This record gives sequence, structure tokens and C-alpha cells, in this order.
Amino acid sequence: MKKGMTLRRRQALLGISFIFPWLCGFVLLFAVPLLQSIRYSFSKLNILPGGGYELESVGLSNFRYAILTDATYNRLLTEAVLDMVINVPLILFFSLFCATLLNQKFRGRSVARALFFLPVILASGAIAQAELAGLINMTGSAQAAEELAESSALFDTLPFTSLLLDLNVPMVVVDYLIGAVNRIYEIITSSGVQILIFLAALQSIPSSMYEVARLEGATSYEIFWKITFPMVSPLILTNVIYTIIDSFTNSPVTETIYNTAFQSLDFGLSASMAWIYTLTVGLLLIGIGYVVSRRVFYYH
Amino acid sequence: MFSFLGMMGAFMALPLVFAINAAFKPLDEIFLFPPRVFVRKPTLNNFVDLFTLMSNSWVPFSRYIFNTVFVTLMGIIGHVLIASAAAYPLSKHRFPGREVLFTSVVLALMFSPHVTQIPNYMIMSWIGFIDTYWALIVPAFAFPLGLYLMKQFMEQIPDAILEAAKIDGASEYRIFWTVVMPNVKPAWLTLIILLFQLLWGNHGEGFIYSEQLKSLHYALEQIIFGGFARHGVAAAVALAMMTPPILFFIFAQSRIIETMAASGMKD
Repeated sequence: MKKGMTLRRRQALLGISFIFPWLCGFVLLFAVPLLQSIRYSFSKLNILPGGGYELESVGLSNFRYAILTDATYNRLLTEAVLDMVINVPLILFFSLFCATLLNQKFRGRSVARALFFLPVILASGAIAQAELAGLINMTGSAQAAEELAESSALFDTLPFTSLLLDLNVPMVVVDYLIGAVNRIYEIITSSGVQILIFLAALQSIPSSMYEVARLEGATSYEIFWKITFPMVSPLILTNVIYTIIDSFTNSPVTETIYNTAFQSLDFGLSASMAWIYTLTVGLLLIGIGYVVSRRVFYYH
Repeated sequence: MFSFLGMMGAFMALPLVFAINAAFKPLDEIFLFPPRVFVRKPTLNNFVDLFTLMSNSWVPFSRYIFNTVFVTLMGIIGHVLIASAAAYPLSKHRFPGREVLFTSVVLALMFSPHVTQIPNYMIMSWIGFIDTYWALIVPAFAFPLGLYLMKQFMEQIPDAILEAAKIDGASEYRIFWTVVMPNVKPAWLTLIILLFQLLWGNHGEGFIYSEQLKSLHYALEQIIFGGFARHGVAAAVALAMMTPPILFFIFAQSRIIETMAASGMKD
């Protein structure tokens, strides 16, 4: 470090030296393709005979087509966003709940944790292929399992619905609850990583805090809301974002985008679809982030 | 509370139990309808078949195993180091462009990976990474999720600890290694688990053509797609592929212990 530099400049340089290796990779492998895809979204991509491609600028027509003309895209988009809005709080609640339980000391704790992470492991690569072939689910094929789950869920919730309605619970709440019950499989299988992140957060809470609280005579309920919850709250935002991103990678919209690109070979349209999707969710994320981050507590 | 946990646990364990049993079932029991969870006449035939298939493969099977292990290990080490190094100034230092950088990370996280496939391939081929290990390892280095996670955790470290270290004369590198990293141990162990999961299941499709460089997953998937007669072997494959991540998870999780981030404070 040279002597003549101001403190601020020195700090900036140091910061950059830490970030630099990562930044290189990021710019090259994520930022450049991202920018490239903006260009695609405004153009028509013609594949040249003999390899390579050329871009033909078409202005906003890709975007116009995706929103106004395409038969399914806007419907899928609203559905995906609605799904996300319903699923995110449920997943968060469930994963925080499980993480708190799994953080207690009991025998076989690490095995129990592994069990809750199992869906994530099962969802990858060759294992997922085997699952599709019906080797992991009992029902023969995943398709059959889904159909079974749907029919039995419908059968189960009817009495439950009427019971709740008889109790004068508002229809909106009933709808939400029924939705939650029907989604339970989806929610459990997609909260593995969130549980893990919450567990890591819970383990960063010093036990001395709990000891003090116990000495002062706090109940477990109070301890959870006064210590555990504020201490993990920064990670709630993290998990919200992770959940949203996760729901991204395997939603029907992403499938449509993929099919548009690699089956109909319309790369321009698929790029603009992806950008519409990203921007929609980005806006949602900013809104949620704003609300949540105001309630987040940092221990300083 | 714990009975709930027990119930959920049992529910989650069901596929595992079923997969273990399926791996030991003879062919007639696999196709039995209605299916049974537990195996009646356990047999090792599936595994014997698997080994026969493995020893007949074009390249020695150990090569596939080495490929996957090598890529996974290199990817994890590189990613954890690079991402945490980048996360530290992002969370604890002020410098121009910080916000922009972080926003672009979140944006990159959200973007659908399919769309960037073509530009991605072109960049890879431009650097000359196609058909080398680097095509799998280097993207793992720059993966945005780790940076994001590490930053969120590092933000929770009280500034006072860092200031104390600075006053005692520690350099930034020293602070990073002896103060920041030990304090976010749960975070990077979690990250390691996630990455192991991700890289272990990596196919390298699109970037790898030589048979010698293909991953274990790729090789085993070929076996699974071998049709009905291979169903028993496929069950054995599923079990074999499931075991390392589960064992790794149990191992890594048990190393996560409470850190002292906030307990070192005396206000």
C-alpha cells in the first residue's frame, strides 16, 4: 500500500482486491450473458447456414408478442406470481418452525436434520430420474403419485371446508388454509434449504442470551419472540429471496421460456419473456424487501 | 412438538426406506402391484449387475468417479474462498459501486438460466473452456448464491469486534481469516452442503464431450435409461447416488456448532 493515498481510497482498493477474483468470474459468466440476453430480447436471431448467427433488430415487438399475442404466457405468469405469493409465507413459517425444533438437543438430531434435507438431495440428477421412473415413490410413477395426491386431497378437504365455514371463518381465510393443506407436499419438499439456512442462523445465536433470559424467568414463548425471532430476522429476508428464486427455477414459466428457445428456436422471444418474468418478480422482491427489511433487527 | 417432528421425520424418511428396499429387490418384486415397501427376498443381484455394467464401460469406471469428486471438491473450495472474500468487503466496507454490485448479484440470481445458455456457451468457447474440467469448475466459483448467503451472515457480525481487531493492529487479511471466517462458520458449512449437492448432481451437459471427462451422474443415468430390464440396477444406482450427499450432509451438519459472534461483546 502506498503512503500518499487517503484512507478512503486505500479502503476502496482493499475492498476491490478482495472482490476481484469473484468479480472476474461474475462479469464473464453472468453479467455478460445477461447483457447479451437484453440484446436478444430486442432482436430476431437468425441462424446462418454454416454456423453462427446474426441479430436483426425488431424493437419492442418481442415484448408485445409475449404479453399481448402469446396464448398462454401472461396467464402462466400471473399464476406463477400468485403461487409464489401464497407459497412464500407458508414455506418460511414451516421452515422456521422445523429449524427451531431441529435446533433442540435430542438424540438422533443429525439424522433428523438429514431427513429434512432429503427432498433437496432427491431432487437432483440421476436420483430425480430414478424417482420419475417410480423407484423411490411407492406408487409406480411420479405421475400417478401426483394424481393420487390430488384426488385424495380433494376428498379430504370438503368436510374440513364446510366445518370452517360453519364456524363463520371468512371465505378468504378458508381458501388460504385449504390451499395450504393441499400444498403441504410442495411446501415440505421445497423448504430443505431454508431450514438449513435458518439452522445456521439459529446456531449463530450465543447461548448466553438464552441463559440470561432463563435466569430472568422468561418463558419459552417469550424467549422465542424476544430473542430467537429478532436474531434470525435478517435471515428471514434472505430466505424470502431464496424461496422466490427457487420457485423460479422450476416454474411453468421457465419451462415455457426454455421451450420457446430450444423447441421453437425463437431466442429473441424467449429472452424477452425471461426479462418480463425477471422484472415482474424483481419488482415484487423490492416491495417485499422494503417491508421486511424495515422490521429486521441487527445486533450491533 | 416432538411427536410432530417424529411424524414429519417418518414421512420424509419414507422415500429413503423405499429406495433402500428397492435396491435389494429382485426384479419380480420391483414390478409387483400393489407395490410393497419392504423387500421379501433380499438379493444382491442388482449390485452385482451394476458392477458388471461398470466394469464393461468404455472408459474405466473409476474415471467417472474421479471426475465427479474432483469437480465437486475444486468447485467447493474455490467457491467458498472466493465468495467469502468477496462478501467480506460487500458487507463490512463502504466503497463506491457497492450497492450496484449487490443489486446485480440479486438480479443474476433471479434470472432464468436457460436464456443465458447461448451467450454462456459462446463465452466458454471463447476462453477455451469447452470440454475441460474448467467449464464445470469455474462457473461454480462465480456462482452468485454463495456471495449472497455469506454477505447476509457477515452483516450480523458486530462492527465492534472488527474495530477491536483493527485497533490491536490486525491487517485486513488477518481480520478476514481469524475474525470473520470463524464467526460465520455455520454459514460456510451450510454453503458447502449446498454446493456439494449442486456439484455432485452436475452433468456438464453442453460443455463436456469427451467420454473421459464425463461425470458419474452422466454415466449412471445412461444405466437408468437402459429400459425395463435395467430397473433393478437403476434402483441400486439411485441408492448409490443418494448415499454420499446424505452422509456428507450428516458429517458437515454435525460440525456446525454455535459461534461466538455476539458473545464476545461487552457493552
